Amino acid sequence: MKFSRRDWLVGSAGALAGLVLTPVPWKLLSDVSIWTQNFPWIPQPAHGPVETQFSACTLCDAGCGVRVRMAAKIPVGVAGASRHPLTRGALCPLAFAAHQLNWHPRRLREVRHKGRVASWTEAQAAFQKACGEGPIGIIDGRPGRAASSVYEAFARKQHGSYPPLLSAERQALEPYAEWSQVPVASLGYDLENARTIVSFGAPLLDGWGIPGRFTRLWSERAAGAADPGLRLIQIEPSLSRTAARAWRWIPIREGSEAPLAAGVGRVLLDERRVDSRGPMPPFTLEEAAAATGLAAEAIRDLALKMVENRPVVVITAEGNPAIAALNVLLGAVGAPGGIVLKRDDAPSPAPVEPVSGPLRAVLMDSTVPWEFAASSGAEVFRFAAWDGGGSSTGWLLPAPGFLEELTDVPTPPTSARETYALAQNLVAPSTEVRGAAQFLLQIDPTLPAVEKIIQARCEQIFRARQGTVYGERSIDVAKLDSVEHFEEQLRKGAVWMGDPPKHSKFRCELKEWPGANRVGRAANWVAGWDPPVLPALATKLYRESNLREPPAGRQG
Amino acid sequence: MSVRYGMVIDLDRCTGCGTCMVACAAENNVPPAPARATARTGLTPMLVRKVSNRMEGAARREAFIPIACMQCGKDTPCVSVCPQQAVEVDKATGIVVQMPQRCLGCRYCMTACPYHARYFNWWDPAWPAGMEKSLNPGVAVRMRGVVEKCNMCPARLHSAQEKAAAAGKREIDPADYIPACAEACPTGAIQFGNLADRNDPVYSAAHSPDAFRFLARLGTEPKVYYQSREAWVKALAERDSEHATEAQHG
Repeated sequence: MKFSRRDWLVGSAGALAGLVLTPVPWKLLSDVSIWTQNFPWIPQPAHGPVETQFSACTLCDAGCGVRVRMAAKIPVGVAGASRHPLTRGALCPLAFAAHQLNWHPRRLREVRHKGRVASWTEAQAAFQKACGEGPIGIIDGRPGRAASSVYEAFARKQHGSYPPLLSAERQALEPYAEWSQVPVASLGYDLENARTIVSFGAPLLDGWGIPGRFTRLWSERAAGAADPGLRLIQIEPSLSRTAARAWRWIPIREGSEAPLAAGVGRVLLDERRVDSRGPMPPFTLEEAAAATGLAAEAIRDLALKMVENRPVVVITAEGNPAIAALNVLLGAVGAPGGIVLKRDDAPSPAPVEPVSGPLRAVLMDSTVPWEFAASSGAEVFRFAAWDGGGSSTGWLLPAPGFLEELTDVPTPPTSARETYALAQNLVAPSTEVRGAAQFLLQIDPTLPAVEKIIQARCEQIFRARQGTVYGERSIDVAKLDSVEHFEEQLRKGAVWMGDPPKHSKFRCELKEWPGANRVGRAANWVAGWDPPVLPALATKLYRESNLREPPAGRQG
Repeated sequence: MSVRYGMVIDLDRCTGCGTCMVACAAENNVPPAPARATARTGLTPMLVRKVSNRMEGAARREAFIPIACMQCGKDTPCVSVCPQQAVEVDKATGIVVQMPQRCLGCRYCMTACPYHARYFNWWDPAWPAGMEKSLNPGVAVRMRGVVEKCNMCPARLHSAQEKAAAAGKREIDPADYIPACAEACPTGAIQFGNLADRNDPVYSAAHSPDAFRFLARLGTEPKVYYQSREAWVKALAERDSEHATEAQHG
């Protein structure tokens, strides 16, 4: 039988048609789709014993409680710790991916001097040489920690400067400290007892203060209600995330916050809506209306709403005496629901005398914002876990990253109660890193070690026998049997919170209506986030959605 | 007891912080987007969309709508179009489960989904060097070329089921199974629970006068409900959510 070309074609077509009726092609398709899941370059998660640890987030000064899921001693997930008395399990969005930051492409892995790779020995020798040649300055972005005591002690011994940097939230409290002679560190906002909160541009629902503290309060007492128990009035030129959810949004002209505060003050005084007789603001109601773009009646309405539902407190994004004066007028300073004392006494050693004249060198702690520039002429020794980019002058020294070193977390600036927590070093550093305090201790071993300072602070709190430890369960400090037990609780992620001070009232008086400072724009990203980089997953918020603007000057 | 997992999202509580999006991505090993990704090509099994009442000035109002897979319970569009049986409705839980190992990447399901809640993996999943060590060990990384969506954190469900089984129980403790987005929401806007249980808070929330579902007229019985007291927000429910969103995909 002759096998023709036609027979071959017919046979092939028949075979193909038959093949389609068999499971073979479908099985092949299915297998291909499975094989593609197993290409060797597809990342495989690490496997190992899984455990849960509690700690505190150290990426800003809020020190939120975190619950860290670890696999093979590596953090694989971060969530809020509901045991934390202030945050109650809430975190900012960035903290949920903070465990990935230690592998960020901009992680500093070696010592650099003017852009070239150097060694720790060279950096130490250069710093010691600088200390011998002239006064040095140490800049601390988050004063009050155990490491801060090391910096202060070193500066004192070297006859140098120790000017702590004040965050925007501490700056916002400065006017009250000036008018009342109470240290800034002893002041806080009693949001829990406030019934009206007037925010002049402060991103209250976007990470202001302690992320979670106000959002929890707002969701419990204000969200969605037509006449909420907690009224949030947001005064801001644009419709921010906070303004969108506020009880009232008052859009005003850019930079007209101080005239508005003066106009409101004028109404309160003219109409005798407040008990105190303060100095008369320099603006008439009409002048305030012209400056802000609001109708005079709208300003009067705002003033009445402020006193309608008391206690009321006014909050600014950063220090502005012209707006802070409203709190004095409203009687909100030294009163429940306003600006309150968070501790009875504030024993603090005399501050290090500032050095007159130029500094030979400046050492910057890793908590100093990347944008901060030291005075010109001084040799800079900057500690940082991540490189913020830009031209690098001086020394760049790799510091521990997220949960890579033991550090203490003192009271956040906006808290109304004293707190103390420890952030354990849950993660082994992936590279040779040193904290600034460790660096100074290697130069001067006679300085007190961070561990010793933490132990001393724990002892001090324990001896006072007041407050509560919020851990696996809440325990009064008075019921704990030893300081070791107290410290152990903190090392396991518990938070100590002090009792309210016995004497919460204090006098705060205005002699004249203060002038205005510039009002800063609310941060586009979570307020208070210190690192110069964002977690890689932050792309979900700005590149893969329109939720936020791309971060300026920060790499995700 | 029958289980129908679902969510009730209170839009009056949502501040648009995006915490749910990041927590979802971290829990489910969703990679960060390459530089050329957009809102259309990125991977966001949970996506918060900003909407407005389209007014300007002081009259303008904005709200934020977290959108994930709506877990359609009837005539589930993605199930009916999938040629690979890569999507199915789990009879035990009501969760619409996407199985990436069966997916061919034809994207019929994306076309069929009325909520645009499905995403295609355009790129190999990649993290900066070393960061893969921080991935969730309970969740496999999905390959380029497959479709993804919210599966209501299956690793957490399995973990709760294992815990219940170890204790000799047939039903899980509700406290052991909360998806990452609901757990992370700082305002408690996202409530998760069993819609078939009259004693579950989500049941009463889903049946409150302020509750509604997006595109309910399609009859797909989504198991994600929303709540709002604002009339203009409720009015968005029967519009195409794509059109209600400003510049989302622009």
